[in-house]
Amino acid sequence: MSIYSSAVKRPLTTILIFVALMVVGLYSLTRLPVDLYPEIELPFLTVFTSYPGASASDIETNVTDLLEGSLNTVSNLKEITSVSSDNTSIIFLEFEYETNLDEAANEVRDAMNFIVSFLPEDAEDPTILKFNSSMMPIIFYAITAEESYEGLEKILDEKIVNPLNRIEGIGSVGIAGAPGREIYVEVDPRKLEAYNMTIEQIGSILMAENLNTPAGFLEMGKLDYPLRIQGEFVGSDMLKEIVVGSYNGNTIYLSDIADIKDTVRDTKLEERINGVLGMRMFVQKQSGGNTVEVAREVKKTLKDLEKDLPPDVKIEPILDASEFIVGSINNLTNALLFAAIFVILVVLFFLGRWRATFIVILTIPISLIVAFIYLFISGNSINIISLSSLSIAIGMVVDDAIVILENITKHIERKSHPREAAIYATNEVWLAVIVTTLTVVAVFFPLTFVGGLTGVLFRQLGLIVTLTVVTSTIAAITLTPTLSALLLRLRINNKPKRKFSYDNTIKKGIDRFEGFYESTLRWSLRHKTIVTLISIFVFVGSMMLLTSVGTEFIPQADESNITASIELQTGTRVSVTKEVTEQLGNIIETSFPEVELVSSSTGTGEGVNFASLFSTSGTHTISYTLRLSEVEERDRTVWEIAEAFREELDKFPEIISYQVDAGGGGGMGFMGNNIEVDIYGYNIAETNIVAEELASKISMIEGAKDVQISRDPSKPELQIVLDQEKMIRHGLNTATVSTAIKNRVDGMTATRLREFGDEYDVIVRFKEESRNSITDVMNISIMNSQGQSVKLGEIAEIKEYLSAPNIEHKRRQRILTVSATPYQRALGDIANDIEQVIADLETPSGVQVQISGTIEEQMESFTDLGLLMVVSLILVYLVMASQFESLKMPLIIMFSIPFSFSGVAIALFVTGTTLNLIAGIGAVMLIGIVVKNAIVLVDFINLQRDRGLELYEAVSVSGRSRLRPVLMTSATTILAMFPLAMSIGEGSEIWSPMGISVIGGLIFSTMVTLVLVPVVYVIFARRGERDKKRKAQEKYDFLNGAEMTTS
Amino acid sequence: MKAVFIVYNQAHNEKVDFILDSFGISGYSEWNNMKGRGSRGGVPHLGTHTWPEINSATLTIVEDEKVDKLLNAVKKMDEQNTDVGARAFVWDVTGSY
Repeated sequence: MSIYSSAVKRPLTTILIFVALMVVGLYSLTRLPVDLYPEIELPFLTVFTSYPGASASDIETNVTDLLEGSLNTVSNLKEITSVSSDNTSIIFLEFEYETNLDEAANEVRDAMNFIVSFLPEDAEDPTILKFNSSMMPIIFYAITAEESYEGLEKILDEKIVNPLNRIEGIGSVGIAGAPGREIYVEVDPRKLEAYNMTIEQIGSILMAENLNTPAGFLEMGKLDYPLRIQGEFVGSDMLKEIVVGSYNGNTIYLSDIADIKDTVRDTKLEERINGVLGMRMFVQKQSGGNTVEVAREVKKTLKDLEKDLPPDVKIEPILDASEFIVGSINNLTNALLFAAIFVILVVLFFLGRWRATFIVILTIPISLIVAFIYLFISGNSINIISLSSLSIAIGMVVDDAIVILENITKHIERKSHPREAAIYATNEVWLAVIVTTLTVVAVFFPLTFVGGLTGVLFRQLGLIVTLTVVTSTIAAITLTPTLSALLLRLRINNKPKRKFSYDNTIKKGIDRFEGFYESTLRWSLRHKTIVTLISIFVFVGSMMLLTSVGTEFIPQADESNITASIELQTGTRVSVTKEVTEQLGNIIETSFPEVELVSSSTGTGEGVNFASLFSTSGTHTISYTLRLSEVEERDRTVWEIAEAFREELDKFPEIISYQVDAGGGGGMGFMGNNIEVDIYGYNIAETNIVAEELASKISMIEGAKDVQISRDPSKPELQIVLDQEKMIRHGLNTATVSTAIKNRVDGMTATRLREFGDEYDVIVRFKEESRNSITDVMNISIMNSQGQSVKLGEIAEIKEYLSAPNIEHKRRQRILTVSATPYQRALGDIANDIEQVIADLETPSGVQVQISGTIEEQMESFTDLGLLMVVSLILVYLVMASQFESLKMPLIIMFSIPFSFSGVAIALFVTGTTLNLIAGIGAVMLIGIVVKNAIVLVDFINLQRDRGLELYEAVSVSGRSRLRPVLMTSATTILAMFPLAMSIGEGSEIWSPMGISVIGGLIFSTMVTLVLVPVVYVIFARRGERDKKRKAQEKYDFLNGAEMTTS
Repeated sequence: MKAVFIVYNQAHNEKVDFILDSFGISGYSEWNNMKGRGSRGGVPHLGTHTWPEINSATLTIVEDEKVDKLLNAVKKMDEQNTDVGARAFVWDVTGSY
């Protein structure tokens, strides 16, 4: 017994199975996390090695080169790049997508083991860092305070960070720009010399005094008393009374020779939020955590926690990733709802019957809910990819149900009992329905095979659409007949029709349109040449349009967020940089009313930390994060504001270079939107010149903004050159001299002050006036082993040098890159212009120039997309060929495909959308959707021909009869995409190109299917098809006594 | 005793069962999925992609007086919509055991 007749005969079972499916689906829906994108494990590993004191070129030869050499053999490695800068070597390993990073990390570790012993002794062991998209902080807060600023770090630690860390799903909560407390003992070098003491002595005295020691036990009477010596400092005031020595019988207190300052850490970094001193707090979620939920929980908890804070401490969000997600998801959910409403209206419009409409649209929730079950089982989330996939599917899932229902209605109108009609009508069309579904699957399923980043994104699209469409087919051949048997009744039309009833208005209109179409079709069949010529003309014309449509990788989204990094002359003092920050702050306040919050950080943090991996910093840098008001509330887009900000920056002569990033790439920082030109070459000076020339030429290109050279300009450096001979004569060596200088200038961490469970460094160093000129440094006295003091000037010279602050490698060669960001011009066009510039560029021998960056990824993805299209075309052809058992029919049907691309080109051109990956995917999808219509038509023409109709008559009759289903399925898909294409607001830039291209392509190809495909059918129809009767007669001519031919 | 052979579009299946029951005819044989073509017009019922409809047939041996009623019933059923299709034929039964 076939599946549909069992279903119809056991209606309760059928309905209950689908109810069970809905229950499981709804349960999955409540359990699904909400995120922006499917979680992507970025195939990157970073090897970080620090070698304190080494210059960039030392690091390059002694650390980076060695490591790169051994890491190069790791399997699945795609590209190896590195940056060697002062003190640190960072190597980035990019693997092929979907490499198991744990295995890769092990392999990297093994590879490094061979080489570690060859690294310089002072270099620390290399560490491997993994980077994952969930490591991006989900919320940034700006925290400002006035009176409480100095103690802010401790307050935040206790009252905010620790409670927040307890929230489920939180990875970590960190604070940047915290002032931190430190105790400085600033010594006057002249007094020190007068008392014949050194910094090191003072340091060791402090260390020796700051001690708590247990000294055993004392047994007295019946008790056992522990003995303890309490020498630890209880406060910074105690330091003043420390006796550091005696001179001529007088006691010398520390306060006699030094100023003791208990203050915030001496830092070269200043964080300001809206111009007020402050710091930033960032929250990371755990991998797999629900961004939206964690963010909501953090915000709720923070509201409670804020009550306990001193009144002057203000916490404000700078960047909240969940806001964009919630906005985008809401937008998409609305799009989905509107799509559903449109589909319902279309079905109602064409069917004109409530019960029939109900049966058809019931397939929508059933099919969609299966997608939720899949997402839940596969551990995915509701994200913009899964939701937009649903939007795409929603217009297609009703198609099968419509076909089945139409046939059932036909049988009922012929007075069959609904139950029998349901079974027999399904029997007649179920195979055709499955074949049309297969063509859709043939297009969407290969999407799951795409590799690379594109693949990660589109795997979900492919699987979701495949699953929903297959489910809809299953529902259409089981649930639809079952419900039809239960709900549909024969309408006895003997009631007088009301004037505005369905039959009198819409139905009449549709009938008239059918008549019009049939006459058009008959005319076209008689004027095949004209129709063909017009079609060719339109196709060629539209393809010409395509050349003026720009290309781009992934559309950029307005995320209401701008980050900017600004560089002044290298080596600028932080106080000078701060002045610029202040002036910029005023400008932002006056000319950028859209900016809601300004967070700036000026200068550089202490030492080397994790954050320095991702940004260059120095006393001459300023970085900005600007939060803008909501997209709907402002007139200027984020890109326009960024551009205006660039113009303001141009007015500052102090600013050497800047980069204003308006975000985009849909919150994927790693999917940038820039063009990079790689310059390979060993000679730093030569490559610098090439880079400068290239940068100045690129900045002339229209639309190329933010032209940046990756290698920082050489910075001035003071080198102390020690004279070996003199050193030896004075009994000194490089190690003692360098520690001595470091202790005096940078400071010596002598001991730690413990207070309320926290420890603060006590740092001994020269006071500031004695360490800010070359003379001061030359005057530093160093004690030798004989206790004599030697001035540094006696054993060393100071020379000023220019040194490259960072050396980059790509594929183990020295490289520097010049990058540019497009503004109001397509990436591909700018890339072409740059290509031209490179071709004209004269490069010294040994220097190679090459284009890369996002444009490289773009090319790769477009190639992938092209391949995908070929695979889809082949699969669709195979499916159709097997259905029609003919090689020619699929070809006729496929004539509608190029015209769907014409439609895409016209739609993109008219709306001014660029051809990007998303629009491209839309075009690929069209292959499956478009042939569906043509299959329905051609199949019916074949049927009429087999039933003995003459060729032209068969074509015209079929055209008229199939017009309604073709229009209906096209209209549902087109209107379902409409909200997607039209939506504005958060994130809409990402998916609207897909909607636009599908709508354009489908409208156009529907017209072509209805007119050109019949014409091509007629042209291709050979004698056999034109006159079947005669052919059969020839074949079986034995009745007339002819010999049977064996051929 | 007469043999009545009813050939009909399978969509009539349940109605034919009903007719037999209503005349108290208990014995019959039925064939399903039969191909056939009519001589009085109407579309062939061949169960192919081109002609997807298919027939069933029922052969029943009834007393002479029931034959007319039965034929009449089949005619009424067919007249509901002649596009669906049904015919009945009668011949003599010369013996049985």
